[in-house]
Amino acid sequence: MKLYSAILRTGIAVGVVLPLAVIFLRWDGAVRPRPPGDDPWRRVELAVFEGGYGIAWHQKTAAEYTAAHAEERAIVNVWGEPRMAEKVKPRILRGDPPSLIMDNRLPLWLMISTGKLLPFDGALDRPAYGSDVPWRDLFLPGTLDTYTSGGKVYAIPTSFGAWACWYDARQFREHGWSVPRTWYEFETLCRQIDAAGIAPIAYQGKYPYYAWFTYISLLQRCGGLALINRINAMEPGAFSDPVALKAAGMLQDLARRYFQRGSLAMSHTESQLQFVNNKAAMIFCGVWLENEQRDTIRPGFELCCFNVPAVEGGKGNPRLFNGLGTEYVFMPTEGRNPDVAADFTRYMVSLEKGPDMGASIGVISPLRGGCPPSAVSPALQSVLHMLDASMVDGTPGIFNVRLAELLLEWQQQVMIPSLAGLLHGTLTPEEFARRLDNGIAHARADPDIIIPEFKPYDPQAFGEPL
Amino acid sequence: MKRTWEQTCFIAVFLAPALLLFTVFVAIPGARALLYSLQKWDGLSEPKWVGFSNFVALFRDDLFRIALGHNLFLTVTAGSATILLALFFAAVLHRRVRGSAVFRVAFFFPNVIASVAVALLWLLLYSTTDFGVLNGFLAWMKETVGWPAVSLPIPFTGKPYLVYSVVPMLVWTATGFYMVLFLAAMEGIPESFYEVAELEGVSPFGQFWHITLPLIREVVVVGVVFLVIGSLKLFEAVWIMDNEWPSKETHVMATLLYQKVFSEYNVGYGSAVAVLMFVLVFVATLATLRFSRREALEY
Repeated sequence: MKLYSAILRTGIAVGVVLPLAVIFLRWDGAVRPRPPGDDPWRRVELAVFEGGYGIAWHQKTAAEYTAAHAEERAIVNVWGEPRMAEKVKPRILRGDPPSLIMDNRLPLWLMISTGKLLPFDGALDRPAYGSDVPWRDLFLPGTLDTYTSGGKVYAIPTSFGAWACWYDARQFREHGWSVPRTWYEFETLCRQIDAAGIAPIAYQGKYPYYAWFTYISLLQRCGGLALINRINAMEPGAFSDPVALKAAGMLQDLARRYFQRGSLAMSHTESQLQFVNNKAAMIFCGVWLENEQRDTIRPGFELCCFNVPAVEGGKGNPRLFNGLGTEYVFMPTEGRNPDVAADFTRYMVSLEKGPDMGASIGVISPLRGGCPPSAVSPALQSVLHMLDASMVDGTPGIFNVRLAELLLEWQQQVMIPSLAGLLHGTLTPEEFARRLDNGIAHARADPDIIIPEFKPYDPQAFGEPL
Repeated sequence: MKRTWEQTCFIAVFLAPALLLFTVFVAIPGARALLYSLQKWDGLSEPKWVGFSNFVALFRDDLFRIALGHNLFLTVTAGSATILLALFFAAVLHRRVRGSAVFRVAFFFPNVIASVAVALLWLLLYSTTDFGVLNGFLAWMKETVGWPAVSLPIPFTGKPYLVYSVVPMLVWTATGFYMVLFLAAMEGIPESFYEVAELEGVSPFGQFWHITLPLIREVVVVGVVFLVIGSLKLFEAVWIMDNEWPSKETHVMATLLYQKVFSEYNVGYGSAVAVLMFVLVFVATLATLRFSRREALEY
């Protein structure tokens, strides 16, 4: 019996533990992709983050493209999912990703630096759909720069984003308030709104990231594009520059005096709801605001935006604004049929499709002239006015700071908590700036972080002193 | 007594599926996490062997110390409040108060709600908008009796206050479960003990202290172990209450782990947090059991 027991124990050990040990030691974590087989179709799978814009327009566009390219046997399938990044990550790891992905929450810079993305330059050099001009030349300045590395463009923005201060024109008219042009006028307006028993500014306090864009705008207003260049170049001590400290102080003062009470504990939807219910008169937000709140905006609410006001004595041209490409689409290296994928992207982001996109989902095309005002709502028309007003010699005055997308750890562990500290008043502007600068120095010292070359803005070209 | 061959086979057949599942879904992933903790890996490129440097970075990192501090704070505050309240309610229900069956269900109810739903419920309770029940009540109090003399609404779930605001939620959720656990143990105590105590003129508190508590000690220890494990692994409450964006003021170990792996793509560091969490839970459980070891009372 002893012998039988010993054999049984040994059998269990060998039969169960050994195969598992072998799997554990030999498995490298990757599941091999399915072989393409003999599929006669050139299939492209586009995975879209399903947020406020939905995926209906993308599906319609894919169907149009598929119908128009039936002879080339090209098929584009679109699927969407709010937790898209979580679904796509394991597929990237196992070498079987979709041909195209549209979700900014994936680590694009990491993917670029590890060779997981293909550049779009071939498609960018071809004429745009509906035009003889190379596709590349149609993009608004700067919108292709965000994910450009080694002169190659790895992600294409499908929409244009701008940071602005939003208000209800009807409410302003009823109270006799006017749009401020300077910071002094802005503060005066805030006091008038406060006196009328309305909170001046709603704020998405649970996501301090929102305040980052207002801070960037104030940095430009105070220190001009020269200061934005120093920050983009990750220059030591750039955030601690006295002019940058002034911008941080202004933001803190705004939070302390004019942000809606309790807004520091509000989510983006809660605070935006306060705004569309006229409990707060203004809110700083991106162009997605109207789309995000479309079910809650009441009839008669006249959503409009104005640019961040000029700062008295500041070096920045107040007509410029913090704008960038958004809703980026990118091509994983191991995705199928990259030629079709790039061509479909060229079709989706085109002068032909721009007006339809604007009318269908309330998005501004990142192409020059890609979105006629008649195609979009009055709210987006006010963004287009802002864009027109920013033009300097025919070039839109758009600027952006690239650090948050580039340095993920800095964004999560330094930028966001420091902004929260500044707005809660637990950090002084000096402490806030020191943290940002120290974080940048730490990131620069990490040999594993790839910092791509940076194309500085020309302050003089945008009417600013050097 | 010696096992027969058939008995051994019988045991092996019943153990094998569980053993297999445990090995595949717990032991191997656990071992791989240990392996990752010794590597620098972003989840996309080739992992690099870095020895214990993730652990060194972890111990030097303020963020980890703060997150651990929050876990310990929640273990002590929410844990002790839960145990004390659960004991209190169990003792009261054990004395057969009127409507005890209703109370039993009512107290246990929060435990059957999914933790994410509980967090969302408390978010509404704490809200600074018109939906905020707590702030609404405070505003009404201020208007009628002039108290509290603070600026309203209070941002209970604002980052500086969030860790404190989580405590009542955890206590509310967990008390019912431990109450039922303790009550079941109390039901097993012979009624004659209490009858004798009554005859001797022992007060209700004296009866609880000298009879009930010593006789349910082992169950209380099990409860404490559960609470310690639960508090050290806490995730959903903070994650949801801080709208999936915790920071230095609000992190607990599990949220830090998640953020490191899935937001910063620092898999090695995140795995080091996971390994350390396992060690801490293991040590805390052993320590709790060790310090509470005493000869069991038999009755």
